[in-house]
Amino acid sequence: MSADVANGLLQSIAPSSLTATVIGAFLGLVVGMIPGLTISMGIIVVLPLTFVLDPNVSIALLLGLYVAGMTGGSFSAILLNIPGTPSAAATAIDGYQLARGGEAGRALGLAIASSFAGGMVSFLCLYFVAPSLAELALSFTAADLFCLVLFGLTLICSFASRSLIKGLLAAAAGLAIATVGQDFVMGTQRFTFGEPALLSGIHFLTALIGLFAIPQLVDNLRSDAPGAAPARAAASVRSLLPRLGDLIQIRVPLMIGSLTGAFLGVLPGAGGPIAAFLSYDYAKKLSPSPERFGKGAIGGVSAPEAANNAVAGGALVPMMTLGIPGDPVTAILIGALLVHGLAPGPLLFLENGAFAYGVIFSFLWANVFNLLIALLAIRFLVGLLRAPKFILMPMIGLLCVIGSYALRNSLFDVYVMFAFGLIGLAMRWLKVPVIPLLLALVLGPQFEEHLRVALTGSQGDIGVFFATPFSLLFLCLSAVSLGWSLWAAGRQASLSREAAGRPAE
Amino acid sequence: MMEVDDAMKHHLSRRTALVLGAVALLGLAPPAAAQDGYPSKSIQFIIPFAAGGGADIEGRLLAKEMSKVLGADIVPINKPGGGGAVTYAHVKNAKPDGYTLAWNSTSILTSTNLGNVPFKQDALDHIGRVEWQPMPFAVKADAKWKTFQDFVADCRAKPKTYKVANSGAGSATHVAAIALMEAVDCEVVHLPVGVKRRNASVLSGEADAMVAPLTGAINLTKGKKLRLLAIPSAERNPVVPDVPTAKELGFDATLDLFRGLSVPKGTPSKIKAKLAKAMTAAAKSKAFQDLAGKSGFTIDPLPVADFERLLNVEDAKVKRIMQSAGLYQSKAAE
Repeated sequence: MSADVANGLLQSIAPSSLTATVIGAFLGLVVGMIPGLTISMGIIVVLPLTFVLDPNVSIALLLGLYVAGMTGGSFSAILLNIPGTPSAAATAIDGYQLARGGEAGRALGLAIASSFAGGMVSFLCLYFVAPSLAELALSFTAADLFCLVLFGLTLICSFASRSLIKGLLAAAAGLAIATVGQDFVMGTQRFTFGEPALLSGIHFLTALIGLFAIPQLVDNLRSDAPGAAPARAAASVRSLLPRLGDLIQIRVPLMIGSLTGAFLGVLPGAGGPIAAFLSYDYAKKLSPSPERFGKGAIGGVSAPEAANNAVAGGALVPMMTLGIPGDPVTAILIGALLVHGLAPGPLLFLENGAFAYGVIFSFLWANVFNLLIALLAIRFLVGLLRAPKFILMPMIGLLCVIGSYALRNSLFDVYVMFAFGLIGLAMRWLKVPVIPLLLALVLGPQFEEHLRVALTGSQGDIGVFFATPFSLLFLCLSAVSLGWSLWAAGRQASLSREAAGRPAE
Repeated sequence: MMEVDDAMKHHLSRRTALVLGAVALLGLAPPAAAQDGYPSKSIQFIIPFAAGGGADIEGRLLAKEMSKVLGADIVPINKPGGGGAVTYAHVKNAKPDGYTLAWNSTSILTSTNLGNVPFKQDALDHIGRVEWQPMPFAVKADAKWKTFQDFVADCRAKPKTYKVANSGAGSATHVAAIALMEAVDCEVVHLPVGVKRRNASVLSGEADAMVAPLTGAINLTKGKKLRLLAIPSAERNPVVPDVPTAKELGFDATLDLFRGLSVPKGTPSKIKAKLAKAMTAAAKSKAFQDLAGKSGFTIDPLPVADFERLLNVEDAKVKRIMQSAGLYQSKAAE
């Protein structure tokens, strides 16, 4: 066993593996930074290349890309208010406010440091508690997962910002949009109007690109608009190294983010966005000054960034020990390993122990190099975003089109993206918050799926949702979260009545 | 002399090409010209499922091997959605010039009978089958049922009790599960948990059994986490030789998962023949055989005539099973 650990470590520090990690990390930062290009897509692009490489070299490359992609997503979220990956959507809330206040460098530095911390926590988790954690997550039934997603949906209340009614409206619209496509229990078509491209529903990434990027681009066209300063914000990246005071201040959000991310990463299908939003919400609730959140709180940057990098390590746990992917990227990684004749699963640690530990250590190096490259290359990367607006904005527009097309190789999705751009503009005009809609779009399909699978299994008996300790736990958490949000909303309402006259965002 | 001959030929063929090019410019290109030059640009190889799954891994490798044979790039493109319907609709509407291929599977029968698209499998031309695999009925390794008959006896005694997971409503595994449970005459609850959670749901005990493609269950079986009780195939499978077929246990249910190639209707027959040759050569390549050995599918190329016969037989079967389960919603004009 210990020989496997040593061999794995040796494999992971072979020059070829480390070089691959560095290349992967650089690619990941670029892919993550570009809105609409997801980590999955980056991995698919380099996948054919890995077929000719040694398995440990190719996994090092892919892990570098995976880890750095999570960090890269925060760059454009902070500088442009356009999340590069869905997991970075929560980072944009406070990160962009910091950048607008001239503190882009501070926000980026914190994002990079938090990513590293989250990655390290999930590495430790992967190394020490992987097997038992995997067994626990595996015992989750559809009913448990339904309660988990329900818990996730209660976050809508705290993201509804000023008007609970508008937030709930946006969420209801999101849930309705999530029903588009094929009913997966009966196979009937819902709201597809005979269009095959709508059969698998509206991809939430397409919606995300439209909702975030298009209003941002329109804002930039009106040069007097308040949101028109990303180029200037990018220019003010000075000191990247986080200050000690900041690091002390973010210790609680960091812990929340890392642990939430590592745990949710292990659950098949939960994935990065939920972890990021959940930990953002709890960082806010447990913060001594929750009113700072949404206006440039550093905890609002570090919690989701720690979470989405911790998800990566968490998602490797069920992949390595059971061959069950924790998120879309690990699903592709399983495929990549199969090509090399290495089947992730219960046998991997027995038959290819050295390789298995090599993967775990490569994940460690991926995090280390991600930290180094991000700190060194950020000026260059940010320089890309500092280009004149008349070059930058059309390029972002183009990337949005490419990104929404490349997701499923469908031109139809490009139209869908533009439609969501109009929706995003209308929502901005009507001051309806976008995040609840996005959250409902992400969680809606899982919400329905787990609900219906659970009820199919129990033949309609709703007792199934109260049957296991996990479901009860999540139901209790949902109630607490809901109560807390309503109480906080009430308090905020009375506060804002005192400070009346403040313009809405 | 030889050299002169070659030069002459070369010269001639260049002149011919120039002439033909001019004709083509006038829009009068005879179809033969296009065929002789095939393939002269990259070919799109459309995969109906998302990256990372069996269809994707196997398809990408086949495309790579085929491009070596044809001497042109073959670009794999994933167009997932509607259980394959998005890909089949795209390829049906593509130009019949041999530059758009569909990496088909049993999904070409299920998605059409489910009515996801308003046509049937015969709306496309087919090139042939490449491979197939059984869809075993699996339970957890420590389940109380040691044999398929144990499960059947228990299930008949307690109808509507046991839950059988599949990859999604109307998917091939769902149809196979329905066929199998009809054949053994017992009522179960079919759980459409999806590919992502299918294996997990059996291991967690949420589902009592599942029907899955062999490639999706083989590793957990080798790792002693799952036990395969039966396969709804005509014969025992060399990959899992000790798993009995449903047929030899006395239950008449067979449905295998196949994969092959289709093209838009009206593709010139010379091009189809060229593709079929490349497909067979790629299927028999060492790389593809290695992958088959590792992941558990059986390479068994079928020429188009046999493949079409198979498609018709299987289509009727899928239609009947879906009708009996209330899933049949085909929108094709009868």
